[in-house]
Amino acid sequence: MAGGQERNLRRRIKTVNATRKITKAMELIAASQITRSQARITANRPFRDGMRRIILEAAKGDPAAAERLLAQPETVNAALVLVIAGDRGLSGAYNSSVLRAGERLVNTLRAQGTTVRIVAVGKKAAPYFRFRGFDVEQSFIGFADRPNFADARVVASTVAAPYIDAEVQQVFLVSTRFLSAGTQSVETEQLLPLSVPEAPVEVQTKLKGYTEFEPEVEQLLTYLAPRALESEIFSALLEGAASFHTSQQRAMAAATENADELGQNLTRIMNRARQDSITTEIMEIVGGAEALRSGK
Amino acid sequence: MATLTVEIVTPETALWRGEANALVARSSDGDFTILPQHTETVGDIVAGVVRVQTNEGELGFAVHGGYFQVGPGDNEGETRATVLAGVAERTSEIDVARAQAAKERLEAELAAMTKGDAENHPNFYLAQSALERAELRLRAAAH
Repeated sequence: MAGGQERNLRRRIKTVNATRKITKAMELIAASQITRSQARITANRPFRDGMRRIILEAAKGDPAAAERLLAQPETVNAALVLVIAGDRGLSGAYNSSVLRAGERLVNTLRAQGTTVRIVAVGKKAAPYFRFRGFDVEQSFIGFADRPNFADARVVASTVAAPYIDAEVQQVFLVSTRFLSAGTQSVETEQLLPLSVPEAPVEVQTKLKGYTEFEPEVEQLLTYLAPRALESEIFSALLEGAASFHTSQQRAMAAATENADELGQNLTRIMNRARQDSITTEIMEIVGGAEALRSGK
Repeated sequence: MATLTVEIVTPETALWRGEANALVARSSDGDFTILPQHTETVGDIVAGVVRVQTNEGELGFAVHGGYFQVGPGDNEGETRATVLAGVAERTSEIDVARAQAAKERLEAELAAMTKGDAENHPNFYLAQSALERAELRLRAAAH
């Protein structure tokens, strides 16, 4: 019956509108989180840059010590991969693209005969790898949205421990880098052995080439390396969080738009159905009245 | 003009940045003072109070261990000293009551732990370093 169809449509429109309200709210929340997480990246920059500058100078100050501590291993039997994803879904391709990149890296390393251990950040990461038959050694949950430095320290000590015990020769990081509000990209980089950052040319020319160290470089580097690792992981966590919120905001904006369109279409169909049923009713009444009159 | 720019930064925020006359702190080799035109230096800072002398007076920072680097700044004649610390705060912003409460609580916790096999207690080192931080805050605030 036409009336039933109309009731059905009305119910669907209600559902679509309710969903739209939710996606709209999520969009607004994500938007406010973007600003906050971006501000945290900015606040972290001086520390990250300072850390890189110190490592660079220390490495230049005593190349021999740096070589011993930071050299690339000759053979890699085992490696550890740290993947930073999000705690929540509904964020477009954020989780899937970083997880796929992580899986690709694991597969390439395995193809080279390397044993791979996986450490994951974010609720969405471990199930992905476990479903595909990879073992996840440890999974961190609960701070992917708003990481603080203490979280970074815990992650850093977890990934550094097997490296210090010489169980793995390399540690990789797969995460989403927040290049700007419009661009985020999934990057794979080597965390350990620590790579000495490239110095911008203007810094190199300004340095007089003679630097004092207290205590001496080798000791300094031994203590400094774990701090630098923490700093790099913290930056990656912050950028991951900002990327997550950006991605979610975009996904939710698209979902809201879809809901708008769907609601509009359904309303049109419903109006037509109502019009149809009214027309049919009038026809019936008119037809009935005609029949009565001619029956007289 | 020889100037000195001092930056005190932590991972979460740039705590302070400005022009100063001197930076006084302690590394594992001993106390040191950085003045404008100081040679390029990289070193560590042991937990303690880092003092920055400016034209407006002296500022104190409780630095819970970190590193420093001295190098040329962006401008001609500028020397830049950067202090990197995992945890640091202005001495004037230390909540003495809170630090005192934390100290007492942690001392009690540690005392309870020492009754058993303290070194193996999972929270022993955490509590110990937290106590060190609380004690440093109290010392720094008293400055």
